[in-house]
Amino acid sequence: MSEDLGQRHSAFRFHGTWQEFAGIAFPNLLLTIVTLGIYRFWATTREREYFWGKTDFIDERLEWTGRGIELFIGFIMVFFLIGLPFIIIQLISQGLIFRGETIIAGLVTLLMLLLLFYLTGVAYFRALRYRLSRTYWRGIRGGSDDPGFQYGISYMWKSFAGWLPIFLMVPWSMISLWNERWNAMSFGPHRFVATAEWKPLMKRYLLFYLVPFLIFVGAVVFGIAVAASGNSPDALGGTGMAIGGILLIFAVLAMYIILPLAALAFYSKYFRLAVGGLRLHNLEFEFRARAPDWILFFLANMAIIICTLGIGYIFMPYRSWKFFIDHMEAYGEINIDELTQSETIVSKHGEGLLDAFDVGAI
Amino acid sequence: MTAPTFFDAWHYDGKSAIKRKVEVQTIGQQFFLLETERRHGPFMFADVEYIAQKGDVDVYGLNGEDGWRLMLSGPVPTELAAMLPARRRYGGWVDRLGLGKATVAFTLASAAAVAVVLFSPQWLAPLIPSSVDKKLGDALVGDFGGRFCSTPAGDAALKKMVASLDQNPQDLQVEVAKIDMINAVALPGGKVILFDGLVKQARSPDEVAGVLAHEIGHIREKHVMQALLRQMGLAVVLGGVDGNSGALVNNMLAMSYSRGSEAEADAHSMKVLGNAAISPVATASFFERLSELDGSARSGDKGQGIAGYMSSHPLSRERKKAFEKSIVKGKNYKPALTSAEWTELRTMCTQDRKAKSGFGFDFN
Ligand SMILES: [Zn+2]
Repeated sequence: MSEDLGQRHSAFRFHGTWQEFAGIAFPNLLLTIVTLGIYRFWATTREREYFWGKTDFIDERLEWTGRGIELFIGFIMVFFLIGLPFIIIQLISQGLIFRGETIIAGLVTLLMLLLLFYLTGVAYFRALRYRLSRTYWRGIRGGSDDPGFQYGISYMWKSFAGWLPIFLMVPWSMISLWNERWNAMSFGPHRFVATAEWKPLMKRYLLFYLVPFLIFVGAVVFGIAVAASGNSPDALGGTGMAIGGILLIFAVLAMYIILPLAALAFYSKYFRLAVGGLRLHNLEFEFRARAPDWILFFLANMAIIICTLGIGYIFMPYRSWKFFIDHMEAYGEINIDELTQSETIVSKHGEGLLDAFDVGAI
Repeated sequence: MTAPTFFDAWHYDGKSAIKRKVEVQTIGQQFFLLETERRHGPFMFADVEYIAQKGDVDVYGLNGEDGWRLMLSGPVPTELAAMLPARRRYGGWVDRLGLGKATVAFTLASAAAVAVVLFSPQWLAPLIPSSVDKKLGDALVGDFGGRFCSTPAGDAALKKMVASLDQNPQDLQVEVAKIDMINAVALPGGKVILFDGLVKQARSPDEVAGVLAHEIGHIREKHVMQALLRQMGLAVVLGGVDGNSGALVNNMLAMSYSRGSEAEADAHSMKVLGNAAISPVATASFFERLSELDGSARSGDKGQGIAGYMSSHPLSRERKKAFEKSIVKGKNYKPALTSAEWTELRTMCTQDRKAKSGFGFDFN
């Protein structure tokens, strides 16, 4: 359909500018403050309308049709159906502790945490479903008929299974959950097929996993070397202290710099594998950002926030969306005649309780 | 390239992704969308809703038709424009009022909501029936996990002290709990719990009487129920503010109120001590010792360190001064308990072997 003009550009393009976005972000901030935060649901919606509307897929812009009131009603329902019972249960368990029924109190708290964990899983699923069902391209939207309750169970057991072998199976649980989530989603008449593999992720994960041990071992070896080279305990006094101090600084720096870098390297690989394993009919997807891109992205974010004394924080959604779209790529073809409307249910506001439990993207 | 002088209309029918170039044919309250070989419609103008502005294109949807879109660009004829819904920018109310007016209106509404939550507990708390208060207290405390100490002589001494400090001791329940912490709490249902750690470290019964009178002050001034109502109200009002900033505002408001309550409870304590002819000197020296513990003595004479300001209790140092000031020269003070009674009260928890001890749980 859209002719490739010889110039290789991505199927996804973002045309927004931060100046335009500022015209949305600042009024949003103002209104959010004066409404004690209630406006933030409408603020989120306005931001998304802007991001989606400024994003081209092939030859047509995306469209966000979600409404602030949907998020707001969802929030109110979550508050009354989950938040309030949660507070009451906490009060009860506190009363139980007062009365010395520590075991029962512990049990009640544990059950509550398990339920919350389950609901978080359901929320992740529903957030993705909500986003797809409110995303239109050429008048066609996505969605899912799956309510996500089953996914909540998977989320629980797969997360636990990932943690159980001293956290070594976390990459498996992450990828497996991603696949499960996306396999339940569709766009138009086509279902997403997610077949990302977890094994290629292990090397990066082990790197991240082993960093603290490597730092520790390094510090110990270094310490022993210094101690061995020292002539007498007296001579070690002053210089020993200095070396100890340097060692400590090195260890702290390592923890605060190397560990986040390793985490980013892992996450970049995870996201690349996850998106790369995604297909929609004849379309294949790719996420091209590599570890250095992610690192630069985060360093720039930090620099912006610091240099603007924190105000730059309101531009972070813009930066994230731009980063996401700039690195998204799709290959293959779409038959426009075949792309018919999605048959999935659109949960109206208030109906889908957890749609508003709008946690993290994709 | 020239600016678009032509009015352009494109259409998605929401059934397939095919983009259709159309002309809009208006007939009264209805309209058709004409393609070269097809006619879509009729559609009602009343069903048309504004979706979004994309560049110079206005996008409209149709109520009840999923994905139906009409995209208009260029100079839309005025007759058609008059039939179409207005653009939406911020959402309902803000668009109707304009950003400036809406900001003012929202600010006033928010301030009113916070004011109601902050001030209403003062007159709401007395309206809560004491039976509810009592039930809440019983539910919360119960027998305190068997940590209350009791001996006949110790109970009698405590009862005497309470009776000297309050006119209606029958609706108070004062207990000593076997917990080694220097603290005391006032809870719903007229319950006051003195921790054994506080009783043991006291140098005289007057000191315990001063602290007890302070806690009774919290109960008589309905501070507990007020704080409960205020916390619940703030949780609702600030529920919209996310995470840390909400919690911070909440804590600051709650603290400034608890500081006010503490001052009231201290005033109550001084008044009641005076009525009972118990000297406030011991209580002052208790706060002196506390101020050494919490470090407010080190923060200079004015004691206005940020830690002091944020602290939930007024500076111990200031409280000490207040209690010292309340001493009436030449007044004939008598001890709160006889030395025999005082010994019984102090050793009550040691004597009572049935009471459980310890507490894996810190509360203030
Ligand atoms: Zn107090």
